[in-house]
Amino acid sequence: MVEDDDRIRRALRLALEDEGYEIDEAPDGEQGLVSHVRNDPDLVLVDLMLPGISGFDLCRELRKTSGVPILVVTARSDTHDVVAGLEAGADDYVTKPFAVKELTARIRSLLRRTSPLAPQPERLTFGSIEVRPDAGIVCRDGQEVGLTKTEFRLLCELAFHPGIVLSREQLLERIWGYDYFGDARLVDAHIRRLRTKIETDPADPNLIVTVRGLGYKLVP
Amino acid sequence: MSSSERPARARLQVRVAATFALGALVLAAALALVTYLLAERYLLDQRVRLVTRQTYLDARAARDSLGGGPAGDPAEVLDGLDISDRRQAFIARGRDWYASGLTAGPRVLPRSLRDLVASGESGRQRFSLDGNPAMAVGVPIPAIGGAFYEVFILDELNETLAVIRNSLFAAAATTTIAAAALGTWAARRTLRPVNEVSTAAARIAAGDLQARLESQSDPDLEQVVTSFNSMASALEQRIERDARFVSDVSHELRSPLTTLAASAEVLERSADSLPSRSRDAVELMVGEVARFQQVVQELLELSRAEAEVDPLDLEAVRLGDLVVNVTTRYRADPLVVEISPEVARTALLLDKRRVERVIANLLENAASHGQGATRIAARRDGPLLRIEVDDEGPGVPESERTRVFDRFYRGAKSGDRGADSSTGLGLALVTEHVRVHDGAVWVEPRDGSGARFVVQIPWRPA
Repeated sequence: MVEDDDRIRRALRLALEDEGYEIDEAPDGEQGLVSHVRNDPDLVLVDLMLPGISGFDLCRELRKTSGVPILVVTARSDTHDVVAGLEAGADDYVTKPFAVKELTARIRSLLRRTSPLAPQPERLTFGSIEVRPDAGIVCRDGQEVGLTKTEFRLLCELAFHPGIVLSREQLLERIWGYDYFGDARLVDAHIRRLRTKIETDPADPNLIVTVRGLGYKLVP
Repeated sequence: MSSSERPARARLQVRVAATFALGALVLAAALALVTYLLAERYLLDQRVRLVTRQTYLDARAARDSLGGGPAGDPAEVLDGLDISDRRQAFIARGRDWYASGLTAGPRVLPRSLRDLVASGESGRQRFSLDGNPAMAVGVPIPAIGGAFYEVFILDELNETLAVIRNSLFAAAATTTIAAAALGTWAARRTLRPVNEVSTAAARIAAGDLQARLESQSDPDLEQVVTSFNSMASALEQRIERDARFVSDVSHELRSPLTTLAASAEVLERSADSLPSRSRDAVELMVGEVARFQQVVQELLELSRAEAEVDPLDLEAVRLGDLVVNVTTRYRADPLVVEISPEVARTALLLDKRRVERVIANLLENAASHGQGATRIAARRDGPLLRIEVDDEGPGVPESERTRVFDRFYRGAKSGDRGADSSTGLGLALVTEHVRVHDGAVWVEPRDGSGARFVVQIPWRPA
């Protein structure tokens, strides 16, 4: 948990420990990075407003080496902060002030390792992309591509339904555990990131295509 | 507001035009009258001179013809004159009268003139003959022991004067109308800056704080423009400062609130092991912290909406799905949902998050103040999408129908909150979210009892 406000850190530690989580605290981005390397956490909780390295920069640094789920705490829910946080590599966000229940719901959703969807084929191939859901590996031209857990689940969700349009609401529900009113910007930001990793030309995608007004689909 | 201004403005315009017209009328009438009188005098003088000279010439001719003695025949003399139906000549000799026509005798001549001429003076007189203006000129001719008269009918003169009179009247009327038109134009031109001020003020009143007047070249107007614009700027700054204050306070409260909420939740978890008094206190605290959080969240949302930080994020939304999702998310008890077929099958361009808030807050409002919503309906109404949320509560008194949309407004018994858990910001948020959709929201009474909240936003199919 990277949070500069000592009191929030203490209160959240108490609340999250009650939920059975183990917490490593860091008051700023530098110590957050050190702690990440040392403790290899299952999830990183980052306040975007940090002294020194900003929360955005911390996300980018973490993403260089790790696919660990990142949950950011934003001060404002405005488009700019949320989108910037998601672009920097965050998987989801909560807005201050939040209830602990809300936070734990988001954490639980991000920690869910596999998609609950039943029978998974061993491998799926789309052009130069090969997905191996059981092993959690995606290869492009035989080279493994580093995806975050959320990106991987998003790709699998699309890959299990090739050619079928999935609405943003459906994707939000299945991957993030949100209901109909989740923030669709989460889906859009993750689709963008996924495209930069697996599309030949991310600006003109031919694998994960947008169906205007409806959602996204994976072209087999 | 503008409706009460408009008649006043029109009156001023009419007044200026009327003043112009009246001024022109008086001036034109005076000029026409003077012109007419001068023309009449001149024409009459000219005619009189002509007539008099003619009579003297004729009289001399008569004297020359009849001067030789009683042998001369006055009738022959009269025949020799150039007589028409507009001119008659008479010769009096002794008691005998000779006339140039058979129709009229000497009785047509005014008696006073005959008396004057009989006394040896020549004279002329205007009189009326068979309703026509006429002039008689009489010249005594002592050489024949009588007199010579001529009568002229002056109706031509009257016709000329009538033409002049009509022309002058037409000219005066034209001038008056032209002046009225000029006055209207001038008034409109003069009032244009006033209209601009009025329009700008109305825009500011409607919430467009950036409304300003354009600079004017006229120094008099420039002063008004400068004053108005500085007033508008001061107003805008002040409102922005107030809004920023609310937003800043809310921001400052977020961190302590997050700590409070987390701590309260820790306490709540172990509440069972606490003595009952402490447990009650924890329960109260947890509830109020949650409400406090909601107030702060809604205040932030409201100040962001008012400052228009977030753009309208339009996407294709099926309103039917949205309504069903909102109702299942926010309430469990049964409610009539009427989505018209057209709304159900059309994907509309809406900001999903905002519409969700609008409907959720209206349902929440009905639950807090109207004993729960009983019906929610959506249909197309011409170029508009109309959403109605009904309840069967006590309704909203007419005096409060706009005030219920004010922030923290809690109705007549605002001091007495009781178990009301609402934040008092829900309807203010509804107003803001509807406004950015270019729509309107209001409350109206229902037949029987209860209130109906109506949202109208432009119908925009995706």
